[in-house]
Amino acid sequence: MSGGLGAEFPGLRADWLCCQCRNHRCDSGVGERLARLASRFSGRQAIELRQQQVPAAYRSFFRQVGIDPDQHPTPIEQAVLGRLLSGGNLPQDRISDGLLLALLETSVPVVAFDAAAVSSPIEIRAAERGEVVAGLGVEPGTLLLASAEQPLCQLFSPPAPPLSAGLESERLLLVAVIVPGVSAIASDEALTIAAAAISGG
Amino acid sequence: MAALLIDHGVGSELPAQLGLGSGEAAARSTLRAQVAQLDRLLSAAACEAFPDRLDLPVLPARGPRLQSLGELELLRDALIGSLRQAREALATRELERTAARELLEQMLLDPAKYRRLRIAQSELGVGGCGVWSVMPRLGPMGRLMGWWRVKLSSGCPLAA
Repeated sequence: MSGGLGAEFPGLRADWLCCQCRNHRCDSGVGERLARLASRFSGRQAIELRQQQVPAAYRSFFRQVGIDPDQHPTPIEQAVLGRLLSGGNLPQDRISDGLLLALLETSVPVVAFDAAAVSSPIEIRAAERGEVVAGLGVEPGTLLLASAEQPLCQLFSPPAPPLSAGLESERLLLVAVIVPGVSAIASDEALTIAAAAISGG
Repeated sequence: MAALLIDHGVGSELPAQLGLGSGEAAARSTLRAQVAQLDRLLSAAACEAFPDRLDLPVLPARGPRLQSLGELELLRDALIGSLRQAREALATRELERTAARELLEQMLLDPAKYRRLRIAQSELGVGGCGVWSVMPRLGPMGRLMGWWRVKLSSGCPLAA
């Protein structure tokens, strides 16, 4: 079934980028950019976001793989909803802030793995019978992010420790899930923004 | 702190080995395109409905996974139903707004006939919190004398 993914969704892929993070404290420059981005979204813009090209591509993909984006919003819609509910983009830590910045700037979701536990290349494939992700069995056919060695997480779900990047992680593997209709430029931009924000470059 | 980028990979697009008959592959492709198109139309309806919220049925979700042909057909049919419901809701709302606008015109022409009637700006499809209401001019004196007028309240309360 995983072999059929390419025919079913031409352009679906995972792109990745390695970076370093020696300081996990929030970066004031990133915090300012997040605060500026927070003022970009009102209630109307949060709704109209779904008509823009990249968010619309993720919504369509969600529908096509059996997720209702009105019940489980796409990452960008979830982030904007979170901003509206919390009243702003509150800084958390350098990794979370970098990932949120990349998402808000490009609408492309990026997840961070600890490069000590996960190695590239990363692929998207369907789960096989008996596979376990984060200690839990997954239904065969569920779409996963996986390395050559192991399944990493369910597609569009956050990775769990010890694979996810945490406060002890120094080398990170950033992974962007690109769906049909999203350009390679958007993917490059998302990964570069996240890496620069996390590594402080 | 300088960025140290040590690896950068672009995932190769997944291999095309669907192993299905060309007829089924074409049907799946058509259904996926229809689902995407219906989602765009639903998104447009949701934007048109703002600030109201469209109450659409929750679709059964069992993802993320490759959907079977039957599941794609069910999803397409459910989305068509949702879109029909959304358009009906928008049409009903437009009828209500038209009726409210006509009533406001009548109120403005003959306030005394519509004493104490109130129409909110939101009922007219206009932003803001203002309310059109028929009130007596000069309070109790106006009420006794039959001096009625239409007044628009000043709008949204200031934030505390």
